[in-house]
Amino acid sequence: MLLPSTRREFLRHSTRGIGLLAFSRFAPRFLVQSSLAAPAPEKDRRILVLVQLAGGNDGLNTVVPFDDPAYHALRPTLALKQNAVLPVADHLGLHPACAPLHALLKEGRLGIVQNVGYPNPNRSHFRSTEIWETASGADESLSAGWIGRYLDNACAGAPGSTDPDAIHISAEVPQSFGGEQPHHTFGLAPGAARAGRAETPLLERLADRDDPVADGNHSFLRATLMDALVAEKKIQRILDAAKPAAPYPAGNFAQALRNVSALVAAGLPTRVYFVSLGGFDTHANQANSHANLLRQLSEGLAAFQADLAARRLDDQVLTMTFSEFGRRPVENESRGTDHGTAAPLFVMGRAIAGPLHGAPPDLRVEKNADIRFGVDFRSVYATVLDRWLDTPADTILGARHERLGFLG
Amino acid sequence: MSAPLTPEQAWQPLPASAWDSATARHLLRRAGWAARPDDVARAVAEGLPATLDRLFPAAPPPFPRPVFMVKAEERLAGLRPKKRAATTPEERQIVDREERELERLASIEFSLKWLQAAADPARAAYEKWTLFLADVYVVAFDKVRRAEHHYIHRDLLRTFGAGHAPELTKAISRSPAMIDYLDLSRNSKRAPNENFARELFELFVLGEGRYAEADIKQAARAFAGYRFGKDGFRLDVRAADPGPKTVFGRTGPWTGDEVIDLAYAQPAAATFLPREMTRFYLTDTPPPPEFFVPLGEAWRASGFELRTLCHAFFGSTFFYHPDHRANYIKSPVHYLLGLVQDLKLDLLPLPRTTLQPLRQMGQNLLEPPNVRGWVGGRLWINSSTLAARRQLARTLCTPLDEDTLNADERLELTAARDAGRSRFTVDDERIRDLASLGARGIADRLCDFFLPVAVSPAYRAAVVDYLETGPREEFEERVRRATIALLQSPEYQLC
Repeated sequence: MLLPSTRREFLRHSTRGIGLLAFSRFAPRFLVQSSLAAPAPEKDRRILVLVQLAGGNDGLNTVVPFDDPAYHALRPTLALKQNAVLPVADHLGLHPACAPLHALLKEGRLGIVQNVGYPNPNRSHFRSTEIWETASGADESLSAGWIGRYLDNACAGAPGSTDPDAIHISAEVPQSFGGEQPHHTFGLAPGAARAGRAETPLLERLADRDDPVADGNHSFLRATLMDALVAEKKIQRILDAAKPAAPYPAGNFAQALRNVSALVAAGLPTRVYFVSLGGFDTHANQANSHANLLRQLSEGLAAFQADLAARRLDDQVLTMTFSEFGRRPVENESRGTDHGTAAPLFVMGRAIAGPLHGAPPDLRVEKNADIRFGVDFRSVYATVLDRWLDTPADTILGARHERLGFLG
Repeated sequence: MSAPLTPEQAWQPLPASAWDSATARHLLRRAGWAARPDDVARAVAEGLPATLDRLFPAAPPPFPRPVFMVKAEERLAGLRPKKRAATTPEERQIVDREERELERLASIEFSLKWLQAAADPARAAYEKWTLFLADVYVVAFDKVRRAEHHYIHRDLLRTFGAGHAPELTKAISRSPAMIDYLDLSRNSKRAPNENFARELFELFVLGEGRYAEADIKQAARAFAGYRFGKDGFRLDVRAADPGPKTVFGRTGPWTGDEVIDLAYAQPAAATFLPREMTRFYLTDTPPPPEFFVPLGEAWRASGFELRTLCHAFFGSTFFYHPDHRANYIKSPVHYLLGLVQDLKLDLLPLPRTTLQPLRQMGQNLLEPPNVRGWVGGRLWINSSTLAARRQLARTLCTPLDEDTLNADERLELTAARDAGRSRFTVDDERIRDLASLGARGIADRLCDFFLPVAVSPAYRAAVVDYLETGPREEFEERVRRATIALLQSPEYQLC
């Protein structure tokens, strides 16, 4: 069956005619807009891709102060030697598993923001993730996420569309997506070959029925669900037809980025994508597992950037990593590291200006103590909101935060 | 739709002849979270009055403080001398921060433990009732940042929730969380604060417009000096106002308790709470207050006993009227606990997999959006909350990938398993059991057990067709997906 290109067509394809129209409160608006049709190209549309390193990435072994004696004293078994790391600056090198990122750095497509954190750090995964995703202070609690608040601001008054404002490829809906107002957000299964969740075909048949129900709530639920399924179908069609312009490695993470690239290339009006790579909670025997994670991260990001460049979309996309915290400078008794505070993050894209931003952490810490952050993560957000998404960052973040120089 | 009921008909008890598995399912889904076949059979066999006795007992089961909350209180007590001894703002800040963190962790523990208790079918109806009362007597963690005070508040609702409503209201006027939330702690003779008195009339007892502004001003004086300290509630006599007040046309040196009695003597008191119950349990559009007069008068005659009200309300012809069947949108808490019960699971004791989905579906347990509580109904549903509901169904029907858990999450699961709770998601064995019923049997099981709506043969046929189409070796996977789809369906969002 040909995939439908408008909701009208979608309805026609549904086996029993226009049953849905009879109760869909969205139908008239929908048909007028025919929002399943190819979206209008927006050449200057800028997109943000957030990459979550879930679990707390070990920043010290990602961007390595290889000749700092304090580093080697803190990490007797885990420290990386100078001859192993990929040189970035006089005293800094990337983890050897980051070779593809190192190449991007040399080409000026990758920036490192060093020692990013926040005052009075919280070491709970849940709470610190919440702080990062809502851009709150450690002592306050905000219900809306920073992307949600951006969407509140950017999409206020925008006409309804079934195209998602933000798409996540992760098992959970990111907390950053929650706004003060509801937004159309869409989730893709991280490991699935198809965009549609596996159960979708049946759900579609259950929702799209020709037995109109008299009850208002029931028909309202059907209509809202059908709108979501129409979006899903459209995304499925894009992903089915997608041909990446550069090869991607195997694995869910790279696959997720491949899907993001396909959706960007299809011209969806979606402004924010969220991809998650988990497993960074390396409390024991971390050397191999951390190297594997950084390899997945680097190879995935490099493939994504190459794909975007080959499609000439790299001027539209900014990618940024984040993790709820870094890890304790001193390694623990299990050759792993415990929850810590600040860590470097990566920014990637054609607009990146300069390889290093902020200063590296001071490792002269007391026994089993943490490093003190140098750059507030909200400065990174403020820079992205202001200089990339062109929105009033201070309004969205509720305070003025210093802008950084990583965007040219 | 069927003919509308007159108020007199509406509040007649449901005839015994109408008590069957359909009405029993309706009661269990609306008063609790789910209608599991065994529970339905038991309710039918026992009859409606005995079932109501069980769901709304005279002595509500206690909910002891979660162990972590007790520990957190001890640690908080230990911090107090440290705070007093602090000499610099920096030192004080460090203690403040530690306090906040303990409160946050304790509030998470409280929420998880309450959800766990409420998921128990034996407790579901009464705990849902406390959730209703908490949606009337609203307090929010956002302002009241003491987990212990939230615990005490809910415990007052639980303990007094089966007794006489004026006693409940009086107890709540002494609840530390309420004293803080509605600024009773700032109410003094010199500077009266009307916040509590206004909500007492508008949101707790009478309803909007059923009082004059002057009643609020005068009533506020009666609550001056309500304080909560380390020894519990006390009346600060220096801040109290023992002078004469005129409330609802009656003048006297009224105390707060007497003002509450005066409010309950108003005609509107008899219909207000029953109408709020109707909004919470039955429909987004309750009939006008006059409709509740027969029920309200019977309730007043009982001395406003809440257990009597519950038995009359949940046993009424009105409650089971066809207009109220299978057409109410489940709240996020209802959706979560309904899934846990329908799937016979143990609540996943992790904030990330349980509290975060609740928030994404629009219901943060200790954070109602404002003093009115949750509006509910269709406002629960939009594309993002629906996506969160779908994701939750998927999560609970898919074996847990423990490799992706953080170390502290693994500890939580280990502790739960040690306590005998280990069925957090639908495992392969359960799917195999279901698969053994064959396509038609599975479709019937899913539709009849999970959906409140009687679905058409074509609907069932769609499920059968889905199960039968595809490679034989993927049958079990299709069974799992069909289960997920049914639980995501518009029909399952209803109760």
